[in-house]
Amino acid sequence: MDFQAIHDRLVAIDAPGLVRAELPREPNKKEKDPGRSGESYVVVDSARMVDFLLACRDDERLDMKLLVDLSAADPAVDDENFWVLIQLLSIEKKHRLSIKAFLPKDNARMPTATAVHRGAQWHERECAEMYGITFEGHPDPRNILLPDDWVGHPMRKDYEFPTEYHGISCE
Amino acid sequence: MVEAQKYKPSMQLSDESRVLPSGEREFMLDVSTADLEVNMGPQHPATHGVMRVLLRTDGELVTGAQPHLGYLHRCAEKIGENVEWLQYLPYTDRYDYLSAMNNNLGYSLAVEGLMTGLEIPRRATLIRTICAELNRVASHLIAYGTYGLDIGAFTPFFYAFREREWIQALFEKICGARLTYSYIRIGGVFNDTPPGWLQEVGHFCDVFEDKWREYYDLLVENHIFVKRTADIGVISAEMALDFGLTGPMLRGSGVDFDLRRDMPYMAYGEISDAGAFDIPLGRGEKGTLGDCWDRFYVRVAEMMESIKIVRWCLDAIEPGPVLGDVPKVIKVPAGEGYVGIENPRGELGHYVASSGGKVALRCRVRGPSFTNLAVLEDLMPGTLLADSVAIIGSTDIVVGETDR
Repeated sequence: MDFQAIHDRLVAIDAPGLVRAELPREPNKKEKDPGRSGESYVVVDSARMVDFLLACRDDERLDMKLLVDLSAADPAVDDENFWVLIQLLSIEKKHRLSIKAFLPKDNARMPTATAVHRGAQWHERECAEMYGITFEGHPDPRNILLPDDWVGHPMRKDYEFPTEYHGISCE
Repeated sequence: MVEAQKYKPSMQLSDESRVLPSGEREFMLDVSTADLEVNMGPQHPATHGVMRVLLRTDGELVTGAQPHLGYLHRCAEKIGENVEWLQYLPYTDRYDYLSAMNNNLGYSLAVEGLMTGLEIPRRATLIRTICAELNRVASHLIAYGTYGLDIGAFTPFFYAFREREWIQALFEKICGARLTYSYIRIGGVFNDTPPGWLQEVGHFCDVFEDKWREYYDLLVENHIFVKRTADIGVISAEMALDFGLTGPMLRGSGVDFDLRRDMPYMAYGEISDAGAFDIPLGRGEKGTLGDCWDRFYVRVAEMMESIKIVRWCLDAIEPGPVLGDVPKVIKVPAGEGYVGIENPRGELGHYVASSGGKVALRCRVRGPSFTNLAVLEDLMPGTLLADSVAIIGSTDIVVGETDR
């Protein structure tokens, strides 16, 4: 299925939390729109993400049994939201779906997807330490790549680089 | 004064005994074991880099395993947000350093996906394919050699390195580097092939086909090797999908999926339609479907398929330009996209987002080793300590990629 067919199917099964689809568009100079290149994606309500993933996994025509990637992005220092980015893949039907959810920076919490896809566990741990996003109900919320005593969340755009670590200067 | 710790024997003679036919009396041993935590690594040879697995053991039985990562963490994704598009290319070499050509390719394809109107010359596409497949062979040769080494077979390692050395010499001729190539770049490849290079690749394919059969007999069908790997570390297809495993880890469990055939990129659709290559799958030939042997077999069989793809490209390649129309300082239009390609270890995904400037807004790397390693927590409990090395080896991780 191509993106349009997947989106139609998501609307038809009334997928929980589906907000809208974003398609690439041409730049428009009159309206000062820079356009958007790249891939299409769907925007999903972060609070209902687990139900959405479950619907994608269990619907027989979508059949997205594989969670390829779960990560986040911090678009700008003055932006109010983080992006949570999920890539799904169907082995049987051979199609992909990109998902984006907006998460307010002052209350960056969303439910964990580990119950639907076990593979989300490590991706969520990485996301949590890099951006400070809390995944509620995560079975093992320790740091994964950073040391346990690391201060701050390095992938945030407003992150200040440390000047020393345990007495070792890094300037 | 500190009281000396009393010695407690962990083995005692029990009261039970029996009389042997010789008339001697044999006492049974009462072995009591307690939970013991063992750090495997960070400098253990079988972890293939600096990784630590905290094993909880009860005697010879592993009851828990917890991988601890991050010893090689360089936050490549943060670097990606701070350097220009083309400057990031050498950093891609350094996550999965055994298949740097494929990493260059994944990143280039992801950025090219945002640059509408950029055309990649046909010759560049075919050179890319040849390099990516040769690199896959080199990477699988390492997997073949080191897995034998983990299990205790020393010799195959040297044979595998002999052929890998030739591939590295070929890459040195084409780009000057032996490990970190930065050869495949945004818009095409860095330069054209030197004279006689394609002929030498053809010669390598001829020689390798003979050698491959030797290697296959030497290790894959070796009775001791089969005993060590069959029925060990069984991953069912459901478990593989649940954990998001990709590449040989997924195909070893019998799931017939390869991005090169099923969601083709570059010229792979054409090559696949021509029927030039097959996808080897685990079949449970020596034991249970999805065991260590199946995963290993898939890797070894894939080398031969890569050689077939290289041969197809050598037949199809024609002179022409090798670099598309890209400016010196690349500006990528605003947008975002995810591109996944089939790396030797699984799906390497790059999610790149641009706000229209010289640097990326976000440069996410989805390394296959990272996801494939996560299965260890579930796979190890219940196995014997000696098999833990076989299981870690069969995941074929590169720590540079798990930690990025």
